[in-house]
Amino acid sequence: MRRSSLAGRIAFNLLAWTLVLLVAFPLIWMILTSVKPQTELFRIPPSFWPTEITFEHYRRLLVETPFLTYMRNSIFLALGTTLLVITLATLGAHSLVRFRYPGRERLAQLVLFTYLLPSVVLIIPLYLLMVKIGISNTLWSLILAYTTFALPYALWLLRSFMAGIPEDLEAAALVDGASRMEAFIDVILPQALPGIISTALFTAILAWNEYLYALVLVNTDSARPLTTGVMTMLISAFNIEWSLLMAASVMMSLPLIVAFAFLQKYLTRGFGAGGVKG
Amino acid sequence: MRKAFGAAVAVENLDLRIESGEFVSLLGPSGCGKTTSLRMLAGLEVPTSGTIRIGDRVVNDIAPGKRDIAMVFQSYALYPHMTVAQNIEYPLKKRRIPNPERGPKVAAVAKLLHLEDYLARKPRQLSGGQQQRVALGRALVRDPAVFLLDEPLSNLDAKLRAHMRAELIELHQRIGRTMVYVTHDQLEAMTMSDRIAVLANGRLQQLDTPAMIYRRPANRFVAGFIGTPSMNLIKGHFELGRFVAGDWQLPLDGLDLDEPTSEVTLGIRPEDILIGAAGQPARVKLVEPTGHEAIIQFEIAGHDLTGRVGAEITLRAGEPVALSFRTTNLHLFAGDDGRRLNKEV
Repeated sequence: MRRSSLAGRIAFNLLAWTLVLLVAFPLIWMILTSVKPQTELFRIPPSFWPTEITFEHYRRLLVETPFLTYMRNSIFLALGTTLLVITLATLGAHSLVRFRYPGRERLAQLVLFTYLLPSVVLIIPLYLLMVKIGISNTLWSLILAYTTFALPYALWLLRSFMAGIPEDLEAAALVDGASRMEAFIDVILPQALPGIISTALFTAILAWNEYLYALVLVNTDSARPLTTGVMTMLISAFNIEWSLLMAASVMMSLPLIVAFAFLQKYLTRGFGAGGVKG
Repeated sequence: MRKAFGAAVAVENLDLRIESGEFVSLLGPSGCGKTTSLRMLAGLEVPTSGTIRIGDRVVNDIAPGKRDIAMVFQSYALYPHMTVAQNIEYPLKKRRIPNPERGPKVAAVAKLLHLEDYLARKPRQLSGGQQQRVALGRALVRDPAVFLLDEPLSNLDAKLRAHMRAELIELHQRIGRTMVYVTHDQLEAMTMSDRIAVLANGRLQQLDTPAMIYRRPANRFVAGFIGTPSMNLIKGHFELGRFVAGDWQLPLDGLDLDEPTSEVTLGIRPEDILIGAAGQPARVKLVEPTGHEAIIQFEIAGHDLTGRVGAEITLRAGEPVALSFRTTNLHLFAGDDGRRLNKEV
């Protein structure tokens, strides 16, 4: 029994590691390529480990290109979108869960329906809207655009979290003398915190990785995020700057990896705990 | 006062006057509107029509926190992220009571409820009984005019429940505050209350002292709901001073009726059935001894009756017996709406 389970475990581990390597290989290749000298890049047969490690590409990227501007834009976009979405979604989800008003369920479904629309069909109307209200070609237009697809998702995620918070808790706070808003801040928010953190992380990732809207809605360097900025800067019809591209990719991934490392436990709870009673 | 959720009426025409310092229970089966009534008192639900007064003040439009009430929830509703001390302190904080005054108040309540050793713990680290006491403490610390308790003991095991019942009675005697207690457990209502309001289908059935509710139930519902084992209710009719149900006849000389009606329901408490040498012939169907007494199922002229006798009387199933009844303790209810027909004494 023990022997067969040992063999089974070895087989399972082998399979798991193979899969992990398969998935991780592009990432490993990306990191390796970013530190290879230019001369080594196109060698045939290709070398796996770099013979010489250089950080020249990183230096060029940071000093000679507008990479840092894009980075700043991306961070601003991710934080701004997350802040806006979380503020709206926590209050909105709470309303959808707790308040009784006509059409509440219909409203919740409608919210989901907007999420089901492919974002491509919304781009042109959104662009015209941005022009009308005079924020086209700015980061604000992107924050607004990202909110249109992040908010419905956040609302639904937080709604299931909030539904798991016992109604009596809020009632108790109200009887204890708190106002509606105080009860929300003192009692509901701390209970919903794991849900809020995971929703925030989802939203930030969405905003960080978004490409299509950024490509269409913004066309000045000063307002370009990393995704479109790096592409337009390093990929032209004649040439792809592989080493710079890889270095940029590594640096783009870093913030997310760091965020994941710290908030992983909330994120997994967000996947699983949506429907679990608190 | 009336409360409707859409077409469903939860509470209809409830008119209840609770005296200051009184312990009143709202008693009824689930879905009778007792919790809704309490939540309206608390301000957590808005009445569809009618007024709610606390003292001389109409509180319909006053927020729950400004009504000078405290509430204990069935689920306790302790704030999970706060310690016991923070839980108890919370109502004081929300009332803007300055920090230096809060500590002594929390300490006093903790002492009263024997919670001193648990102040730094989180609610989930406490047993059910301790959580219950924290919930009480959170209500007590403010010294409110009215306490609202929504089935506070229903999540405790039987032994602890009896213990907390006694503690609550003692607490009420000590602080002398008005308490409104919602329960579906008649034992709790009977043992703790000054008066009981029996509710069914959103309507008040009877408001009286526990003794009067037991002895003089206002209608068939209250008669059947109060008492364990419950009152025997037999449908029949009333003619020439006798109650007739099928083959069974019972002379009712001692009963003084408000209005003689032909279709009636006869109510007999189990303890008002007497076994003796003389009486109507009956048969023992089933004996359930409980130790200090025994619950007996009798059969009399085709009708089943539940009786209660002391443990000193031994009966066997199938045995023939002679039954008589304490005629003055019998109850007659109208056949149509179930109202009491006996004259009130």
